[in-house]
Amino acid sequence: MNAIELSHVNKAFGDFSIQDLSLTVPEGTICGLIGENGAGKSTTIRLLMHALRADSGNLSVLGIDVNAPEFLAVKQDVGVVLDEAYFPEVMDAVQVGKIMASTYTRWDAAQYAGFLDRFQLPRKKQFKDYSRGMTMKLAIAVALSHAPRLLVLDEATAGLDTIVRNEILELFRDFVSQPNHSILISSHILSDLEKLCDYIAFLHQGKLVVSEEKDRLLERYGLFSGTAEQFAALRAEAVAGVEHLAYGGVRALVRRAAAPAALSLEKPTIEDIILFLVKGEKAA
Amino acid sequence: MKALVWKDIYVLTRQMRIFLLLLVVFAVMPGYSMTTFATVYAAMMPFTAIAYDERSKWDSLAAMMPYSVKQIVTSKYVLGYGFVAGAALISAIAKVFVRGGLILSLTSLCVGLLIMALVLPLVFRFGVEKGRMAFVLIVVVVAVGGASLATGVASAVSGTSALQLTWWLAMAAIVSNIGSIWLSVRFYSRRMA
Repeated sequence: MNAIELSHVNKAFGDFSIQDLSLTVPEGTICGLIGENGAGKSTTIRLLMHALRADSGNLSVLGIDVNAPEFLAVKQDVGVVLDEAYFPEVMDAVQVGKIMASTYTRWDAAQYAGFLDRFQLPRKKQFKDYSRGMTMKLAIAVALSHAPRLLVLDEATAGLDTIVRNEILELFRDFVSQPNHSILISSHILSDLEKLCDYIAFLHQGKLVVSEEKDRLLERYGLFSGTAEQFAALRAEAVAGVEHLAYGGVRALVRRAAAPAALSLEKPTIEDIILFLVKGEKAA
Repeated sequence: MKALVWKDIYVLTRQMRIFLLLLVVFAVMPGYSMTTFATVYAAMMPFTAIAYDERSKWDSLAAMMPYSVKQIVTSKYVLGYGFVAGAALISAIAKVFVRGGLILSLTSLCVGLLIMALVLPLVFRFGVEKGRMAFVLIVVVVAVGGASLATGVASAVSGTSALQLTWWLAMAAIVSNIGSIWLSVRFYSRRMA
């Protein structure tokens, strides 16, 4: 079963639109949603949680159509972390726990208390006095304490320092190691997603440019570095994106399948691939 | 919905302690207009709770959680009903030995409910900032009218007209609140369109 399925989804607002978006996140996997600011990542997440109605297309989460009345019950199985905690700033961790106990039928107070201890979060301190790291840890503690099968994370690690980020990424790995658990995570920090994800989906100006298994994506492309003359010898269809350097040098993202087998190519990072694909699109 | 009401109570009791105390003071003060003022003030509580929600962007998170639009909207009405009924009850207890005190408290309760019915759809439609002017206007008109009505009730308390007046006001409060919730649910749903 797929944890998330979006098929030909469209949503228009004034000068921005999500266009013909089709995306699948298989159960048991982590999918990283990548894109620049305003690419449509948060809109996609709002659409799939039915916080926003699509103009057309089909969306289902954990096998249930988001427009169906039963979807409200499916939200019990989904832990969501947004880019901020969005709890009222005068509340404290204990009060949040009480509210969530009345919200989620499978709320596990002991697990929540365990997360508060693990993250060293003060129980009676108001959120307005929390640091960003503490706020996000609390949001993650809430998302993980009601036995979710799917985590939807929208820039949940943005603005956190490396140590806290690594700690949180470790938690996500633990979560997905359990049977049938899945994650959709959007982030600007591509190195994190490269470490964490099984699938990469790249949104650019409301369109899905890439949606593929991470390892296959990394295998498909190679990085060319050479002179303009060497670059000119490449077939046009082999080049996915190009960057002209000083003194006649060229760096390019090359499709391995269309490049000469003897050509020496470096292994790209996800960040390289995404940057070159955006450049290639702008040049087209 | 219980969770949503509790969330608002936590926020309001933390932020509005002095105002809640004032509400009790108004409710127990002698004078008919003071009782109406207390219930009108109590009717403002859902508006205040929505303002805090907007400030913390709680709605963005609530939309991701297993709350229906109907639950989110009706929780604000339930919160308001609790505060308005509480103010009317305190007032009724304080004026238990005053002739006509109970009818007066009931009239004030109805005025508070009418204000909620008129204000909340506008707030759900336009948000707290844009709805503020309409809110102030409605509160002034209904509160002044309500205070006059309460004084009228007090002077007519010996006759049957006071009971009739309160009966019609109660009917108006119930019908307007049913219509108001229906409208607010539709307005709130539009935010997701």
